[in-house]
Amino acid sequence: MADEQIPKKQIPKIHKCIAVLWPSFLTAVVATGLFFSAFDPDELFPFNETLEISPLGIYTIGFFIFWLITAVSGIGTLYFAITNCMQKNPDFRG
Amino acid sequence: MTTPGSKGPAASKSDEQVQQTLYAKQEKIYPREVHGVFARLRAAGVLGLLGIYYITPWLRWDGHQAVLFDLPARKFHIFFITLWPQDFIYLAFLLIIAGLSLFFFTALAGRLWCGYACPQTVWTEAFLWIERKVEGDRMKQKKLDAMPMNARKLRIKATKQFLWIALAGWTGFTFVGYFTPIIELGQRLVMFSLGPWETFWVIFYGFATYGNAGWMREQVCMYMCPYARFQSAMFDRDTLIISYLPERGEPRGSRKRSADPQALGLGDCIDCTMCVQVCPTGIDIRDGLQYQCIACSACIDACDDVMGKMGYDKGLIKYTTQNAIEGKPSHILRPRIVIYALILLTIFSIFVYSFSQRTSLGLDVIRDRNRLYRETSEGLIENVYILKILNMDEAAHEYELGVRGVPGLQLRMDTDTIRVEAGEVMELPVSLQADEANLKVRSTAITFELMATDVPDLSVEEEARFLGPQ
Repeated sequence: MADEQIPKKQIPKIHKCIAVLWPSFLTAVVATGLFFSAFDPDELFPFNETLEISPLGIYTIGFFIFWLITAVSGIGTLYFAITNCMQKNPDFRG
Repeated sequence: MTTPGSKGPAASKSDEQVQQTLYAKQEKIYPREVHGVFARLRAAGVLGLLGIYYITPWLRWDGHQAVLFDLPARKFHIFFITLWPQDFIYLAFLLIIAGLSLFFFTALAGRLWCGYACPQTVWTEAFLWIERKVEGDRMKQKKLDAMPMNARKLRIKATKQFLWIALAGWTGFTFVGYFTPIIELGQRLVMFSLGPWETFWVIFYGFATYGNAGWMREQVCMYMCPYARFQSAMFDRDTLIISYLPERGEPRGSRKRSADPQALGLGDCIDCTMCVQVCPTGIDIRDGLQYQCIACSACIDACDDVMGKMGYDKGLIKYTTQNAIEGKPSHILRPRIVIYALILLTIFSIFVYSFSQRTSLGLDVIRDRNRLYRETSEGLIENVYILKILNMDEAAHEYELGVRGVPGLQLRMDTDTIRVEAGEVMELPVSLQADEANLKVRSTAITFELMATDVPDLSVEEEARFLGPQ
């Protein structure tokens, strides 16, 4: 069976990607909503007058910055979970 | 007997096997088309929800787009309601209510959400429908995928991709239409002059739809959905589930329509694997309740159809409860349901009450950041503020401003009358002057009071600090 050729002690890359990117996406949506309901980009970035990024652009950039931050946190969680598991279980390849 | 698509009779799975299935490369599932009561219900749900999604941004109300989340103006229009950033609390309330409703309905009726209302289900159904119209039924799809690429296959696949991408693109466009006036957006779309950010979101959202509904499908439910993981915590023995009745069905086996199952020593299950073929997540419901089951009830329709053809009673697979399967009475009213309902009702009442009490006047006080305080030529201590007055009402108002907190505090501003148009924000610079003798500490709490002159109920207070030298 083809199943047997797949190393069992390993988490597939796609599952790792999902585990990092998806929860961080959801929390980034919430964080963006909270942040921009508290702060008006016009007041926050006076220098924007020279850059002229549209409000939709500011919100978009803000969202991706939040996603980046939450994803970094997700990578950290995954990294520690995997390395802890590897220490306890030498067969586990992460 | 093992038909293509089924994973064969699954005995009790060892950890090893589970690991293998978890980590094995996912094989494509070709769900067979199903007809029946629940299929019609789901089609109605899908059409209704898609209709709401695609039509809503085109609705008009009182001269503006009925539902518009106007990000540049920081105003959300929902029919006759206009929400401002400070109303974010109501959105949080709505999210809590939605979450609690999910708990309540899950405890009561299982995964109704997954089977009928989840966007993942709804768009997957739409994409499956396109796939079936273009590629044909399950067997034709399998044959097509197995054959080497030729002109016919290329034509069929290209048609499907074109239709998928068109639907995904329209979905992305509609999504952006909730944030940018959709009529202007449509005009700019046909003139190819969409802004870069709008273009980005149309593509981003369209791509997410295409990927999730066209390719990922049931894997989203299995690997990405948090609800699928924790919904079992809301379940009890009285929760509505979809279940196969093993006592009636087993031992399963094929037989002629005319044969007497009792004489053959067989149960009602003819092992046609229809229930497996129609399953969008590719499981065998006869193995018992599984977390992959999204309760779409396709297997009920399929099995009822087969039972009808065989001349057996329907309901070998049906909506039931754990208690009913075991021959015990089922209860609708039980502590779990009552508690969920009470919490839901309480939160909902608070939401409705606080929303009805929502004041349509907002006041923000921003201190002048350049200096803490200034001493005037008369020897008074002066603080400078910028007041932001938000008139969230439908009519223009004039307001009276007052301040309290320090004895003898004087309010100075450049205008005599404060008038703010409907839905506008006014920035009003004011200065406060106080005698140093009246300031006991370096920072004193003060309160600005703003009141509409024509509607005395329309008033708001805002705290601020008055800084002095000590």
